[in-house]
Amino acid sequence: MRVGVGLYAGMALLAFAHSALAADEACAGATGDVVLQARTPEVDLYDGPSGKKVMTVVQAKFPSCAPITGRASNFMLQVSMNGAKYWVPPYMVKYRFSGKLPAVCRNLAMGSNEQKVGSTRGLGEGCPKTGGSH
Amino acid sequence: MTSPQHRSKRMSGAIARARRPKKEHMETLRLRVPYWFVVTVLTAIASFQIWMNPFGFSDLVQRYSQDVSDLLITGPYFYGTEGRNDVSVAIVDENTLHTLNSPWPWKYGDHARVLDALLQYKPKAVVIDFLFVDSRPDETLKDLVAEIGRYRKAHVPLYFEGGIDLPYGENPLRPELANTGVPVIDPSIPINQGVARQYSATGRCFTQKPGGDGTCPSLGLRVFHDVYGKQYPLAHINDMMELVWGTRTAPENHWITRTDANGNQLSCFAQMSLLKRWYLAFFDTSAVKSPCPYTAEFPVDAVLLHPDDKDVVKMATNRVIFYGGALQAAQDRTYTPVNDLLPGVFVHAMAMDNLITFHGQPYQNAISLGGNPVNGNMVQIAATFPVILILSWIHWRGIRRKRRGLGGPQRRRSITFEYVIEKMVEKVWHYLALGLALGVGLLLTRSAGLSVANWVEVVFVSAELAALVLVGLPDSIWGYLHHVAGGNPGDGSAAVPVLETVEGQAV
Repeated sequence: MRVGVGLYAGMALLAFAHSALAADEACAGATGDVVLQARTPEVDLYDGPSGKKVMTVVQAKFPSCAPITGRASNFMLQVSMNGAKYWVPPYMVKYRFSGKLPAVCRNLAMGSNEQKVGSTRGLGEGCPKTGGSH
Repeated sequence: MTSPQHRSKRMSGAIARARRPKKEHMETLRLRVPYWFVVTVLTAIASFQIWMNPFGFSDLVQRYSQDVSDLLITGPYFYGTEGRNDVSVAIVDENTLHTLNSPWPWKYGDHARVLDALLQYKPKAVVIDFLFVDSRPDETLKDLVAEIGRYRKAHVPLYFEGGIDLPYGENPLRPELANTGVPVIDPSIPINQGVARQYSATGRCFTQKPGGDGTCPSLGLRVFHDVYGKQYPLAHINDMMELVWGTRTAPENHWITRTDANGNQLSCFAQMSLLKRWYLAFFDTSAVKSPCPYTAEFPVDAVLLHPDDKDVVKMATNRVIFYGGALQAAQDRTYTPVNDLLPGVFVHAMAMDNLITFHGQPYQNAISLGGNPVNGNMVQIAATFPVILILSWIHWRGIRRKRRGLGGPQRRRSITFEYVIEKMVEKVWHYLALGLALGVGLLLTRSAGLSVANWVEVVFVSAELAALVLVGLPDSIWGYLHHVAGGNPGDGSAAVPVLETVEGQAV
């Protein structure tokens, strides 16, 4: 039973990793900041970085390898779709940044001081190390 | 003997004996103290201490004992982690506002995005610890209304909180949101002497349908009932829940650090040995308190920007999420026994944690008899009574032995026995009261679910009674009263010789 569950979990993980890698590879030609694909089953499109929702599209209809034409200070991403420009929340899409995302830590946090470029970082990553046991 | 003259003489004799009692008479009479008198005196003292709560001392002792128990015993060593693995807090704090460059208050659409981001992880339930009361114009309100629909479609329970004691008769929740039929719950947190130690069982109903007794469950109880009710049937809460505060910070909180008294930045997981913990707490309990929350916490900017982070995924998936704020301007902070100040959302999270950890049978501050809550003072007096009976009996037997010893020939004993063993036994048994009271308290915890705060006074009062018995207070009172009443130390009867007064003897 456990072996079966492990096998399914492994297959699911592989499929997920494969999908992510495939999207990344598929957009290898695209330069700069790129939305690789939709991450959530539905993607909300907004008329501004702090604007209202104007449309919701299903995952399959959201464009892949769409260049990010703008980034708001609240991290909303601007993409073009059907000739119009919309803003999408970052959690709804998989994207590739050429820059850095802010570290998530409070006070002086544990974790690595290494900055990873072009990828999302975990909680505590990029924060200064501290004393005390962990 | 009953003539007015005799009565007057008796009275003046009693007054004279009360003013100038004869020590040797009292010493003899005190040995004749009856068992019922010892029990009565001790019960009266215990009742006074428990009922009257002199200078608030009893309350303080009870609550402080509960805090110390949380901080030094229950929290670090006994409180389970089952609830901790099932509850998370998604927080909006100053760093979140700074990171997202979004000043407070947020638009409804901003909240909708956070809620939607949380929904992607299929949480068990999401509780919003923000009040949406003000009818400010915001064109993104419909996004939040639409988000409620998404939760409903995904079968993930979503709860809003209703405003209470609103000064201008505002709606507890904006009608546009309330009209969706989303559950609206009372977020009140009872504060006991400035600290969040208890949690309400019932609250205002708002949109909820009242139960058979006309009340509605409080926030934590409602969510627990909806999410875990089938798995763990919820016990009837007689009055309030007594919160047990955990101290072992959730491992997911590794991204938070704390600053100690010397300004050193430390991990929230810095371990402290039992001896060090107790040693530091002996001088200053704040030395062992931690600002790190027990409940797993993640900032909402992490959900929006790092949605695939393994910690975010772990904290948001299949858990009850409390979405709240830790904002300087919000004033929603509460003292806890183990953390000092924490955002109020953590109190709700801790209540949920308790309910899960104790499988719906949380500690309470009252027990019920025939369905009605029994006064806590009455319970404590009743719990003290067996201790009083046993203490009184042992004491009374000791006095009786002494009285017989005075009258008859002394048994031949070795000096060692006389001065070491016998004296030790004579004094040490008083400490039995402590053990007895602790036993009664633990019995109340196990059988009735009462928290330590609701029986610890039994221990203190029992120790106090043991000390009073040790110094012979009940028999001294008896000796004095008996002497004043004219008791005759010679024949052992309580008959009052009318002329036996100090003045009369002087003559």
